[in-house]
Amino acid sequence: MLAVRPGVPQPEDTVQFRVSMEMTKVDIKNYLEKIYNVPVAAVRTRIQYGANNKKNHKNQRVKKPDYKVAYVQLGKGQTFQFPNLFPEKEQDEEARSFDDFRKKYLEKEQQIQKGDPRRGGVPDWFGL
Amino acid sequence: MNSSPPGVHIIRKDAQITSELTRNLFHKNLAKVEPPHQLKFLHTTLSRSGLEEFFDDPKNWGEKTVKSGDAWNIKQLRGKSSEDLHKLWYVLLKEKNMLLTLEQESKRQQRPMPSPERLEKVQKSMKNIDLVVKERETALRLLQTGHEKPVPGEWRNDFLGRTYWYTYKEWPIPWYLNKKYKKRKFFYLPHVNHFIRLRLEKHLCVRARRQNLEKKRQKVLHMKFPHLAVKSQSQ
Repeated sequence: MLAVRPGVPQPEDTVQFRVSMEMTKVDIKNYLEKIYNVPVAAVRTRIQYGANNKKNHKNQRVKKPDYKVAYVQLGKGQTFQFPNLFPEKEQDEEARSFDDFRKKYLEKEQQIQKGDPRRGGVPDWFGL
Repeated sequence: MNSSPPGVHIIRKDAQITSELTRNLFHKNLAKVEPPHQLKFLHTTLSRSGLEEFFDDPKNWGEKTVKSGDAWNIKQLRGKSSEDLHKLWYVLLKEKNMLLTLEQESKRQQRPMPSPERLEKVQKSMKNIDLVVKERETALRLLQTGHEKPVPGEWRNDFLGRTYWYTYKEWPIPWYLNKKYKKRKFFYLPHVNHFIRLRLEKHLCVRARRQNLEKKRQKVLHMKFPHLAVKSQSQ
Protein backbone atom coordinates (compact mmCIF):
# COMPACT_ATOMS: atom_id res chain seq x y z
CA MET A 1 0.00 0.00 0.00
CA LEU A 2 1.37 3.45 -0.79
CA ALA A 3 -0.09 6.93 -0.37
CA VAL A 4 -0.31 8.80 -3.66
CA ARG A 5 -0.74 12.46 -4.59
CA PRO A 6 -4.19 12.72 -6.23
CA GLY A 7 -4.16 13.75 -9.87
CA VAL A 8 -7.61 15.31 -9.56
CA PRO A 9 -8.18 17.54 -6.47
CA GLN A 10 -9.94 15.50 -3.81
CA PRO A 11 -12.00 16.67 -0.79
CA GLU A 12 -9.98 17.42 2.31
CA ASP A 13 -10.81 14.26 4.19
CA THR A 14 -9.96 11.91 1.29
CA VAL A 15 -6.62 10.15 1.01
CA GLN A 16 -5.65 8.32 -2.15
CA PHE A 17 -3.76 5.00 -1.99
CA ARG A 18 -2.46 2.41 -4.42
CA VAL A 19 -3.10 -1.03 -2.98
CA SER A 20 -2.61 -4.65 -3.97
CA MET A 21 -5.16 -5.95 -6.46
CA GLU A 22 -6.44 -8.59 -4.06
CA MET A 23 -7.32 -6.13 -1.27
CA THR A 24 -11.00 -5.40 -0.63
CA LYS A 25 -12.57 -2.28 0.93
CA VAL A 26 -12.99 -4.07 4.25
CA ASP A 27 -9.37 -5.26 4.10
CA ILE A 28 -8.14 -1.71 3.50
CA LYS A 29 -10.23 -0.34 6.37
CA ASN A 30 -8.92 -2.97 8.79
CA TYR A 31 -5.35 -2.52 7.56
CA LEU A 32 -5.36 1.22 8.17
CA GLU A 33 -7.17 1.01 11.47
CA LYS A 34 -5.06 -1.75 12.97
CA ILE A 35 -1.59 -1.07 11.59
CA TYR A 36 -1.62 2.73 11.23
CA ASN A 37 -4.32 3.56 13.83
CA VAL A 38 -6.12 5.81 11.33
CA PRO A 39 -9.92 6.21 11.78
CA VAL A 40 -11.55 5.28 8.48
CA ALA A 41 -15.09 6.29 7.62
CA ALA A 42 -15.47 5.02 4.06
CA VAL A 43 -13.39 3.36 1.35
CA ARG A 44 -14.02 3.32 -2.39
CA THR A 45 -11.84 1.35 -4.80
CA ARG A 46 -11.30 1.09 -8.53
CA ILE A 47 -8.91 -0.82 -10.74
CA GLN A 48 -6.73 1.24 -13.06
CA TYR A 49 -5.92 -0.54 -16.29
CA GLY A 50 -2.27 -0.15 -17.35
CA ALA A 51 -1.94 0.62 -21.06
CA ASN A 52 -0.45 -1.88 -23.53
CA ASN A 53 0.38 0.60 -26.31
CA LYS A 54 4.09 1.26 -25.89
CA LYS A 55 6.56 -0.82 -27.88
CA ASN A 56 10.12 -1.85 -27.04
CA HIS A 57 13.14 -2.05 -29.36
CA LYS A 58 11.91 -5.44 -30.63
CA ASN A 59 8.56 -3.88 -31.63
CA GLN A 60 6.81 -5.97 -28.95
CA ARG A 61 4.04 -4.39 -26.95
CA VAL A 62 5.05 -3.52 -23.38
CA LYS A 63 2.30 -3.57 -20.79
CA LYS A 64 2.26 -1.15 -17.87
CA PRO A 65 1.06 -3.03 -14.76
CA ASP A 66 -2.55 -2.69 -13.54
CA TYR A 67 -3.12 -1.37 -10.04
CA LYS A 68 -5.99 -0.78 -7.63
CA VAL A 69 -6.65 2.74 -6.34
CA ALA A 70 -8.41 3.26 -3.02
CA TYR A 71 -10.03 6.53 -1.93
CA VAL A 72 -10.20 6.53 1.86
CA GLN A 73 -12.35 9.03 3.75
CA LEU A 74 -11.03 9.70 7.23
CA GLY A 75 -13.32 9.64 10.22
CA LYS A 76 -13.52 11.95 13.25
CA GLY A 77 -13.31 15.06 11.05
CA GLN A 78 -9.65 14.57 10.19
CA THR A 79 -8.19 16.21 7.13
CA PHE A 80 -5.16 15.31 5.05
CA GLN A 81 -3.09 17.29 2.60
CA PHE A 82 -0.41 15.45 0.62
CA PRO A 83 2.87 17.06 1.74
CA ASN A 84 5.65 18.39 -0.46
CA LEU A 85 8.40 15.80 -0.09
CA PHE A 86 10.97 17.78 -2.10
CA PRO A 87 11.17 21.24 -0.56
CA GLU A 88 13.97 23.60 -1.64
CA LYS A 89 16.80 23.19 0.80
CA GLU A 90 19.87 25.32 1.50
CA GLN A 91 22.75 24.03 -0.56
CA ASP A 92 26.19 23.82 0.99
CA GLU A 93 29.17 25.75 -0.46
CA GLU A 94 30.37 22.95 -2.67
CA ALA A 95 26.97 22.39 -4.26
CA ARG A 96 26.48 26.14 -4.77
CA SER A 97 29.85 26.64 -6.45
CA PHE A 98 29.19 23.62 -8.68
CA ASP A 99 25.77 25.02 -9.62
CA ASP A 100 27.33 28.42 -10.45
CA PHE A 101 30.00 26.76 -12.59
CA ARG A 102 27.35 24.74 -14.43
CA LYS A 103 25.21 27.85 -15.10
CA LYS A 104 28.19 29.78 -16.49
CA TYR A 105 29.12 26.88 -18.77
CA LEU A 106 25.56 26.61 -20.13
CA GLU A 107 25.43 30.36 -20.74
CA LYS A 108 28.68 30.18 -22.68
CA GLU A 109 27.35 27.31 -24.79
CA GLN A 110 24.18 29.28 -25.60
CA GLN A 111 26.23 32.34 -26.55
CA ILE A 112 28.40 30.30 -28.93
CA GLN A 113 25.27 28.85 -30.54
CA LYS A 114 23.79 32.33 -31.08
CA GLY A 115 26.83 33.49 -32.96
CA ASP A 116 28.97 36.62 -32.89
CA PRO A 117 26.91 39.49 -31.32
CA ARG A 118 28.70 42.03 -33.54
CA ARG A 119 26.99 40.57 -36.62
CA GLY A 120 23.56 41.65 -35.27
CA GLY A 121 21.79 38.28 -35.58
CA VAL A 122 22.83 37.68 -39.23
CA PRO A 123 23.64 33.96 -39.72
CA ASP A 124 27.11 32.75 -40.77
CA TRP A 125 25.78 31.47 -44.12
CA PHE A 126 26.03 34.98 -45.56
CA GLY A 127 29.61 35.87 -46.51
CA LEU A 128 31.33 38.66 -44.60
CA MET B 1 -32.75 14.39 18.76
CA ASN B 2 -31.64 13.05 15.44
CA SER B 3 -31.23 16.40 13.75
CA SER B 4 -29.30 15.11 10.79
CA PRO B 5 -30.18 16.61 7.41
CA PRO B 6 -31.81 14.22 4.92
CA GLY B 7 -29.46 12.24 2.74
CA VAL B 8 -26.64 12.02 5.28
CA HIS B 9 -25.96 8.59 6.76
CA ILE B 10 -24.89 8.78 10.37
CA ILE B 11 -25.21 5.52 12.23
CA ARG B 12 -25.67 5.91 15.99
CA LYS B 13 -25.08 2.93 18.19
CA ASP B 14 -25.70 3.13 21.96
CA ALA B 15 -25.05 6.89 22.00
CA GLN B 16 -21.57 6.21 20.64
CA ILE B 17 -21.00 7.52 17.17
CA THR B 18 -19.36 4.93 15.03
CA SER B 19 -19.13 5.01 11.27
CA GLU B 20 -19.73 1.55 9.90
CA LEU B 21 -19.03 0.44 6.43
CA THR B 22 -22.49 0.07 4.92
CA ARG B 23 -22.59 -2.45 2.13
CA ASN B 24 -26.02 -1.33 1.08
CA LEU B 25 -26.76 -2.65 -2.37
CA PHE B 26 -29.72 -0.35 -2.95
CA HIS B 27 -28.01 3.03 -2.47
CA LYS B 28 -24.96 4.09 -4.41
CA ASN B 29 -21.94 3.83 -2.16
CA LEU B 30 -21.29 7.55 -2.25
CA ALA B 31 -22.54 8.24 1.27
CA LYS B 32 -21.45 11.69 2.34
CA VAL B 33 -19.75 11.15 5.66
CA GLU B 34 -20.15 14.28 7.80
CA PRO B 35 -18.46 14.65 11.14
CA PRO B 36 -20.99 14.56 14.01
CA HIS B 37 -22.12 17.81 15.70
CA GLN B 38 -19.84 17.65 18.70
CA LEU B 39 -16.67 17.15 16.64
CA LYS B 40 -17.53 19.53 13.81
CA PHE B 41 -15.28 22.31 15.03
CA LEU B 42 -12.37 20.05 15.85
CA HIS B 43 -9.99 20.02 12.91
CA THR B 44 -7.21 17.55 13.38
CA THR B 45 -4.05 17.93 11.33
CA LEU B 46 -1.71 15.36 9.81
CA SER B 47 0.33 15.11 12.99
CA ARG B 48 -2.66 13.73 14.92
CA SER B 49 -3.33 10.73 12.68
CA GLY B 50 -1.05 7.83 11.83
CA LEU B 51 -0.84 8.90 8.19
CA GLU B 52 2.47 10.63 8.92
CA GLU B 53 3.99 7.14 9.06
CA PHE B 54 3.56 6.96 5.28
CA PHE B 55 6.22 9.63 5.02
CA ASP B 56 9.76 9.94 6.25
CA ASP B 57 10.94 12.19 9.07
CA PRO B 58 10.25 15.78 7.85
CA LYS B 59 13.93 16.60 8.38
CA ASN B 60 14.80 14.19 5.57
CA TRP B 61 12.45 15.74 3.01
CA GLY B 62 14.45 17.30 0.17
CA GLU B 63 17.75 15.63 1.10
CA LYS B 64 19.84 14.01 -1.61
CA THR B 65 20.80 10.94 0.46
CA VAL B 66 19.44 9.45 3.66
CA LYS B 67 21.72 7.30 5.80
CA SER B 68 20.47 3.83 6.68
CA GLY B 69 21.95 0.73 8.26
CA ASP B 70 22.46 -2.70 6.73
CA ALA B 71 19.69 -5.26 6.09
CA TRP B 72 18.87 -7.83 8.76
CA ASN B 73 20.96 -10.99 8.40
CA ILE B 74 19.40 -14.47 8.81
CA LYS B 75 21.91 -15.27 11.55
CA GLN B 76 20.90 -12.17 13.49
CA LEU B 77 17.21 -12.96 13.07
CA ARG B 78 17.55 -16.57 14.20
CA GLY B 79 18.50 -15.30 17.64
CA LYS B 80 15.31 -13.23 18.02
CA SER B 81 12.09 -14.46 19.65
CA SER B 82 8.89 -14.91 17.64
CA GLU B 83 7.30 -11.85 19.26
CA ASP B 84 10.29 -9.72 18.29
CA LEU B 85 10.13 -11.03 14.72
CA HIS B 86 6.40 -10.26 14.59
CA LYS B 87 7.01 -6.66 15.69
CA LEU B 88 9.98 -6.30 13.34
CA TRP B 89 7.87 -7.54 10.43
CA TYR B 90 5.34 -4.73 10.94
CA VAL B 91 8.05 -2.12 11.40
CA LEU B 92 9.60 -3.25 8.10
CA LEU B 93 6.17 -3.27 6.43
CA LYS B 94 5.54 0.35 7.41
CA GLU B 95 9.04 1.31 6.28
CA LYS B 96 8.43 -0.40 2.92
CA ASN B 97 5.13 1.49 2.49
CA MET B 98 6.94 4.74 3.26
CA LEU B 99 9.67 4.02 0.71
CA LEU B 100 7.17 3.02 -1.97
CA THR B 101 5.25 6.26 -1.35
CA LEU B 102 8.50 8.21 -1.70
CA GLU B 103 9.39 6.34 -4.91
CA GLN B 104 6.03 7.10 -6.52
CA GLU B 105 6.17 10.76 -5.45
CA SER B 106 9.68 11.14 -6.84
CA LYS B 107 8.50 9.69 -10.17
CA ARG B 108 5.60 12.14 -10.13
CA GLN B 109 7.81 15.15 -9.37
CA GLN B 110 10.49 13.85 -11.77
CA ARG B 111 13.16 13.98 -9.10
CA PRO B 112 15.67 11.32 -8.06
CA MET B 113 14.58 9.25 -5.08
CA PRO B 114 16.98 9.74 -2.12
CA SER B 115 18.80 6.45 -1.34
CA PRO B 116 16.73 3.85 -3.22
CA GLU B 117 18.89 1.04 -1.81
CA ARG B 118 16.77 1.24 1.37
CA LEU B 119 13.95 -0.56 -0.45
CA GLU B 120 16.19 -3.49 -1.35
CA LYS B 121 17.44 -3.73 2.22
CA VAL B 122 13.90 -3.80 3.58
CA GLN B 123 12.81 -6.44 1.07
CA LYS B 124 15.83 -8.59 1.89
CA SER B 125 15.12 -8.29 5.63
CA MET B 126 11.48 -9.29 5.16
CA LYS B 127 12.51 -12.27 3.06
CA ASN B 128 14.95 -13.34 5.76
CA ILE B 129 12.27 -13.10 8.47
CA ASP B 130 9.98 -15.25 6.30
CA LEU B 131 12.74 -17.87 5.94
CA VAL B 132 13.40 -17.94 9.68
CA VAL B 133 9.71 -18.35 10.48
CA LYS B 134 9.41 -21.13 7.90
CA GLU B 135 12.42 -22.91 9.44
CA ARG B 136 10.84 -22.75 12.89
CA GLU B 137 7.53 -24.01 11.54
CA THR B 138 9.15 -27.01 9.80
CA ALA B 139 11.07 -27.85 12.98
CA LEU B 140 7.84 -27.80 15.03
CA ARG B 141 5.99 -29.81 12.42
CA LEU B 142 8.75 -32.42 12.29
CA LEU B 143 8.63 -32.83 16.04
CA GLN B 144 4.85 -32.94 16.26
CA THR B 145 3.87 -34.90 13.17
CA GLY B 146 7.07 -36.13 11.54
CA HIS B 147 6.27 -34.34 8.25
CA GLU B 148 8.60 -31.76 6.83
CA LYS B 149 6.24 -30.08 4.36
CA PRO B 150 2.90 -28.51 5.27
CA VAL B 151 1.19 -30.06 2.23
CA PRO B 152 1.87 -33.73 1.32
CA GLY B 153 3.21 -34.56 -2.12
CA GLU B 154 5.44 -36.88 -4.14
CA TRP B 155 7.98 -36.90 -6.96
CA ARG B 156 6.36 -37.50 -10.35
CA ASN B 157 7.46 -37.59 -14.00
CA ASP B 158 5.66 -35.62 -16.64
CA PHE B 159 5.17 -36.72 -20.25
CA LEU B 160 8.43 -34.98 -21.25
CA GLY B 161 10.52 -37.05 -18.84
CA ARG B 162 11.06 -34.22 -16.33
CA THR B 163 10.85 -35.09 -12.62
CA TYR B 164 9.06 -32.60 -10.36
CA TRP B 165 7.47 -32.37 -6.90
CA TYR B 166 3.70 -32.77 -7.21
CA THR B 167 1.71 -31.39 -4.24
CA TYR B 168 -1.61 -33.06 -3.51
CA LYS B 169 -4.65 -30.88 -4.07
CA GLU B 170 -8.06 -31.06 -2.43
CA TRP B 171 -10.74 -32.39 -4.76
CA PRO B 172 -14.47 -33.02 -4.15
CA ILE B 173 -14.28 -36.26 -6.21
CA PRO B 174 -11.71 -39.10 -6.38
CA TRP B 175 -9.12 -39.03 -9.19
CA TYR B 176 -10.69 -41.91 -11.14
CA LEU B 177 -13.89 -39.86 -11.63
CA ASN B 178 -11.97 -36.72 -12.70
CA LYS B 179 -11.95 -36.65 -16.53
CA LYS B 180 -9.48 -33.77 -16.89
CA TYR B 181 -7.06 -35.33 -14.40
CA LYS B 182 -7.16 -38.69 -16.16
CA LYS B 183 -6.02 -37.00 -19.38
CA ARG B 184 -2.80 -35.87 -17.63
CA LYS B 185 0.10 -38.27 -18.12
CA PHE B 186 2.42 -38.85 -15.17
CA PHE B 187 4.71 -41.22 -17.06
CA TYR B 188 6.80 -41.04 -20.22
CA LEU B 189 7.21 -43.47 -23.09
CA PRO B 190 10.60 -44.98 -24.10
CA HIS B 191 11.06 -42.65 -27.13
CA VAL B 192 11.54 -39.75 -24.72
CA ASN B 193 14.83 -41.17 -23.34
CA HIS B 194 16.76 -39.72 -26.29
CA PHE B 195 15.50 -36.22 -25.45
CA ILE B 196 16.22 -36.66 -21.74
CA ARG B 197 19.82 -37.40 -22.68
CA LEU B 198 19.98 -34.32 -24.91
CA ARG B 199 18.52 -32.14 -22.16
CA LEU B 200 21.08 -33.49 -19.68
CA GLU B 201 23.91 -32.77 -22.13
CA LYS B 202 22.67 -29.22 -22.62
CA HIS B 203 22.48 -28.65 -18.87
CA LEU B 204 26.02 -30.00 -18.36
CA CYS B 205 27.37 -27.90 -21.25
CA VAL B 206 25.84 -24.73 -19.83
CA ARG B 207 27.22 -25.51 -16.38
CA ALA B 208 30.70 -26.24 -17.73
CA ARG B 209 30.63 -23.01 -19.78
CA ARG B 210 29.67 -20.97 -16.71
CA GLN B 211 32.42 -22.55 -14.58
CA ASN B 212 35.07 -22.03 -17.28
CA LEU B 213 34.06 -18.40 -17.66
CA GLU B 214 34.35 -17.88 -13.91
CA LYS B 215 37.81 -19.47 -13.88
CA LYS B 216 38.99 -17.30 -16.80
CA ARG B 217 37.71 -14.15 -15.09
CA GLN B 218 39.54 -15.05 -11.88
CA LYS B 219 42.75 -15.66 -13.87
CA VAL B 220 42.50 -12.27 -15.58
CA LEU B 221 41.91 -10.55 -12.23
CA HIS B 222 44.84 -12.43 -10.71
CA MET B 223 47.11 -11.20 -13.51
CA LYS B 224 45.88 -7.60 -13.27
CA PHE B 225 45.92 -7.30 -9.47
CA PRO B 226 48.50 -9.79 -8.07
CA HIS B 227 48.73 -7.89 -4.78
CA LEU B 228 45.03 -8.63 -4.05
CA ALA B 229 45.37 -12.42 -4.51
CA VAL B 230 44.01 -14.56 -1.67
CA LYS B 231 46.92 -16.33 -0.01
CA SER B 232 46.40 -20.09 0.34
CA GLN B 233 45.98 -21.53 3.84
CA SER B 234 48.56 -24.33 3.30
CA GLN B 235 51.60 -24.11 5.55
